[in-house]
Amino acid sequence: MLRIEGLSAGYSAKPVLNDVSINVGAGQFVAIVGPNGAGKTTLFKTVSGIVKPSGGKITFDGVDLLAVPPPQRAHLGIAHVPEGRQVFPSLTVMENLEMGAMTESGRRDWQANIERIFEWLPVLKERHNQFAGTMSGGQQQMLAIGRGLASSPKLLMLDEPSMGLAPSTADFIFERLIEIRRQSGLTMLLVEQRVAEALESADHGYVLEAGHVVLEGNNDTLRADDRVRKAYLGM
Amino acid sequence: MEGFLQALAAGLLIGAVYGLMCVGLGLIFGVMRVINFAHGDFMMLGMYTAFYLFTAAGVQAMFGNTVGPFVAILLAGPVLAVFGYFVHRTLISHVSGTRTAALEGEGHYAQLILTLGIALILQNGGLIVFGSVLASIRTPLSSSAWELGPFFDMSIFLNKARSIDAIVSLAMMISLSLLITRTRIGKSLRAAADNPTAATYMGIDVDRAHRTAFALGCGITAIAGGLLATNYPFHPFVGLEYVIVMYAGVVLGGMGSIIGAFWGGMTIGLVQQMSTLVLPTQLQNAAIFAVFLLIIFFRPQGFFGRMVERT
Repeated sequence: MLRIEGLSAGYSAKPVLNDVSINVGAGQFVAIVGPNGAGKTTLFKTVSGIVKPSGGKITFDGVDLLAVPPPQRAHLGIAHVPEGRQVFPSLTVMENLEMGAMTESGRRDWQANIERIFEWLPVLKERHNQFAGTMSGGQQQMLAIGRGLASSPKLLMLDEPSMGLAPSTADFIFERLIEIRRQSGLTMLLVEQRVAEALESADHGYVLEAGHVVLEGNNDTLRADDRVRKAYLGM
Repeated sequence: MEGFLQALAAGLLIGAVYGLMCVGLGLIFGVMRVINFAHGDFMMLGMYTAFYLFTAAGVQAMFGNTVGPFVAILLAGPVLAVFGYFVHRTLISHVSGTRTAALEGEGHYAQLILTLGIALILQNGGLIVFGSVLASIRTPLSSSAWELGPFFDMSIFLNKARSIDAIVSLAMMISLSLLITRTRIGKSLRAAADNPTAATYMGIDVDRAHRTAFALGCGITAIAGGLLATNYPFHPFVGLEYVIVMYAGVVLGGMGSIIGAFWGGMTIGLVQQMSTLVLPTQLQNAAIFAVFLLIIFFRPQGFFGRMVERT
């Protein structure tokens, strides 16, 4: 579904991604793990068009994504749940969800989507009239995920959903994501620093270090790999 | 007492129009974070557009002297909105929005120079095209009044043209706040203002949202300018006199708060008219800024400013 080939990107003179190739098949749950500064967020921003690549190709559903203007990419079915949540603080929870549903498919399926989102993330229903800026970090993260789901996406990209959250809240978010995936069969691409949880939830993983893919494989291969065990799983 | 009530009424009437004028600027600043120094001159263009629509484009012949000016003023709004749309497309968009989001200072220096440049061109271009003779959009209503009262032997006189100006301003303001709070376009404008990057992730074209805000802001201020012109004569440099009031209103209301700008403008109108009770007329503007400083001293974020929510 999403095919990234030989992608290089960076900010002015400083390259961040170097010849990165990643493949996400329909229905897959793919995790990209790696330390701070490995280029995980830059990778997502390149897919969404906020960062312009210096080389390589991205195709989504057979469409050359780099030829599509950034705001149009959401309309193709890519939902980006950004790092640090980035909900719209002066909009209510409901209005935030409506912004998620700016795409054609989001508008068409609005009623069904909102019911499912409220079922998966009940806190959003309770607080639907509250301004997003006044919610806690965990609640904002759930709103950011709900906002992504409201577009009826084909691919949900999650950038560090556990960032800055208490461990129990982060666990709850992971549990919700697995449940959403189980019920909807949605294709997901997750970037995470909490390697153990990420590899546990995903079927396929990539390890990104200093802008390079250093390792890839399915869930079991990665967790059995010596380097991963030592560096990330503390074993 | 009678003088007080009279000044209060006059302040409320002029305040509503000032409020509308400030909202035009507040909308542009709130959504785009661009400080538009040319906004007073867009308003001047709005005044002249209304003037020529009324006198030369047949509005006077069709609607007469009483209704005609207001028809011309309302028509000047869309004209200036289209003008603003193209100014944004050809000039402002090059130094704002997604093109400069990644730059240090987000292109503010270029915006400053560009909007000041536009202001100079409009002022001097106006002088060439319209001449330096004072113009005004007079209606018979400008020199007649409704009498309220008498209550307890006191009567308040409301200038008819100013009363209609205030009613038109309030109606515009109510429609605009409905647009901003209720409609899809309005919500996406607010989302683009809150977080342009996240708005792009939602599929909102931020540059188009900016263009919409800029066009709307120009149209609204043009109508406010036309309304002011029913009582105050104008000239090509009139924008300078009002742009300071506009900025004071936007800051008072709270930078970034669109509805707040209306109350900021209203406050300025009230202070300006009430100050005449105790101060000579020449000190009207000094009184505005004394009160402005006082309010900002105690409430630096303005009436509706958000210090915490915005990051």
